[in-house]
Amino acid sequence: SSCRALASQTEGEAQVMRVLQEKFPQACAIKVVDISGGCGAMYEIHIESKEFKEKRTVQQHQMVNQALKEEIKAMHGLRIFTSVPKH
Amino acid sequence: MSGSLRCLRAVLRPLPGWAVRPLCQAAPGSGPPAGGEGEGSREAVERLVRAHPVVVFMKGNPAQPQCGFSNAVVQILRLHGVSDYRAHDVLQDPNLRQGVKNYSNWPTIPQVYLNGEFVGGCDILLQMHQNGDLVEELKKLGIRSALLDEEKNQDKK
Repeated sequence: SSCRALASQTEGEAQVMRVLQEKFPQACAIKVVDISGGCGAMYEIHIESKEFKEKRTVQQHQMVNQALKEEIKAMHGLRIFTSVPKH
Repeated sequence: MSGSLRCLRAVLRPLPGWAVRPLCQAAPGSGPPAGGEGEGSREAVERLVRAHPVVVFMKGNPAQPQCGFSNAVVQILRLHGVSDYRAHDVLQDPNLRQGVKNYSNWPTIPQVYLNGEFVGGCDILLQMHQNGDLVEELKKLGIRSALLDEEKNQDKK
């Protein structure tokens, strides 16, 4: 909703973001959105990094799953969208 | 193809009360540890994924999915005309539910296996549907996607 664009990041989003920034130091773009209305139940993650180069999508997603192993325990689900930088 | 994409957006729209719905709990680490016995052992899961070219672990069943993401997998397979596949309802068996996650080292349900190989969940299947990969993977299994015939019909118009 449009309200969410103005709202500041939730603590959960910030924590997930921190972990991803640490585990994917070469990522050029990371976006984390709580899609459970701020409950921390479900997240949508977009991450673009050359660390995904030449890996199949399922392997890329596995890397994200591994990175967020602890955080995932508290989630009901997550959606992952990975990509490789074009240049 | 845009028609089928419109269908998919509709099925991916969250069900009412989505965020708090306990049935959609997909967190790993819950449930008894699988290993060595019963429905959740590596051997048991291995047997299931090898039993048929297309195997899906989901919440609910194809006639009545209990989760929007599981439903999306069912709808994608339906769009491709894949009606012959094995679907396992993890809500019926907590051992299987955890065993599947251990087997694939993947924390969520649904899980799609093609020819015994873990392919991914709903997001990956959706991506494969959109970029044509799913048609190719089905072809390798000797399954002709219904969408190929749909395109042929559209060309004729």
